[in-house]
Amino acid sequence: MALPGRAARQRRRVCLPGDLDLVADENTVLIQRTLRSGQTVHYRGHVVVLGDVNPGAEIAASGNVVVVGALRGMVHAGMEGDANSFVLALALQPTQLRIADHITRPPDGEVAPEGPEIARIKDGVVTIEAFWPGGAGK
Amino acid sequence: MGEVFVVTSGKGGVGKTTTTANLGTGLASLGHKVVLVDTDIGLRNLDVVLGLENRIVYDITDVTGGHCRLRQALIRDKRLDGLHLLPAAQTKDKTAVSPEEMKTLCEELESEFDYVIIDCPAGIEQGFRNAIAGAHRAIVVTTPEVSAVRDADRIIGLLEAAELHAPRLIINRIRPRMVRHGDMMSIEDIIDILAVDLLGVVPEDEQVVISTNRGEAVVMDQRSRSGQAYRNIIQRLLGQTLPIMDLEDGSGFFGRLRRMMGLK
Ligand SMILES: Nc1ncnc2c1ncn2[C@@H]1O[C@H](COP(=O)(O)OP(=O)(O)OP(=O)(O)O)[C@@H](O)[C@H]1O
Ligand SMILES: [Mg+2]
Repeated sequence: MALPGRAARQRRRVCLPGDLDLVADENTVLIQRTLRSGQTVHYRGHVVVLGDVNPGAEIAASGNVVVVGALRGMVHAGMEGDANSFVLALALQPTQLRIADHITRPPDGEVAPEGPEIARIKDGVVTIEAFWPGGAGK
Repeated sequence: MGEVFVVTSGKGGVGKTTTTANLGTGLASLGHKVVLVDTDIGLRNLDVVLGLENRIVYDITDVTGGHCRLRQALIRDKRLDGLHLLPAAQTKDKTAVSPEEMKTLCEELESEFDYVIIDCPAGIEQGFRNAIAGAHRAIVVTTPEVSAVRDADRIIGLLEAAELHAPRLIINRIRPRMVRHGDMMSIEDIIDILAVDLLGVVPEDEQVVISTNRGEAVVMDQRSRSGQAYRNIIQRLLGQTLPIMDLEDGSGFFGRLRRMMGLK
């Protein structure tokens, strides 16, 4: 496995819905607590966490991962290969970010901006963008 | 019925034994009946920290193994009438006691003492499971280092899984100057990750080492900053609300100014 490359962080803002599929469907697991170091969630479907994902914790989902909190642990969306999967968090600071077969780490020495961000594959590169809640803008 | 606390951390050497000795000594000095239980079988040192090493006849494994009665194994402190120690065994390992035996032991102790404080070994294996088995509440100790905080987080997850909810946190060995210069995690950084109640902050203080080597607890030293920190922690344990103490060590600009002006 190659060394994880860096994810690209862009200034552009995106919003839902429109250029993304549904965030969640009936095949979604809701986790209403903080995932602490050593705790893992592996799920076939989407994962929504209402809480933080701390360093040392791990989430892997075949679909999307949404964290309503700070994401500081390891996350893998689209673990079965779905390159349309995304990772969305109120504070996106993962130790490592994987989408489908892309493995990245957050950009070095860059302080994550305030506010929610979304990571997904765009033109073959894992791209992080500020996320506008709601449908306005685009 | 007494309260049973376990003092735990995950990472080794962050100050569990020091915390146990100081909380116990402080509570006993206020007139409470306290027993400290050393569950670090094979690496005992609570007895040394309390200066009681040479009084050990029986240990915790003798009690759980039925070789002596609980009363025979309890050692009374030299200075404080209310303070007792149940020492660990030095020549056995963690499997010499089971979680079930610990539970029974704690039930027996809590019927006789106001506070039972359990000194947990480092790690997340059987020693940890033994130490938490009979506890009602947990006190998690960490230092302001990324690895210690990571381990504390792991421990809090395991405590929650074991139905020991709402553990409280002690941050030990903080150096205000390093925090100010951004070279050490701050209290806010740590709470941001661990998201638990802060019971207190103890500064790095050589007086801790000096007292410990004398078999005394720094909490009895009225002049030391760490002693004051432990006394504050005890007040909070007893239900008082106290602000976190100002950790300025007098080495900053105003400290120097105060010294220059002969104020300190
Ligand atoms: N606030 C402090 N300032 C200075 N030294 C300290 C402080 N707290 C603890 N120490 C020192 O750190 C060392 C480790 O402390 P202690 O034995 O209490 O840790 P522990 O968590 O019980 O370790 P173990 O995991 O090995 O059981 C001791 O030498 C102790 O004197
Ligand atoms: Mg110890």
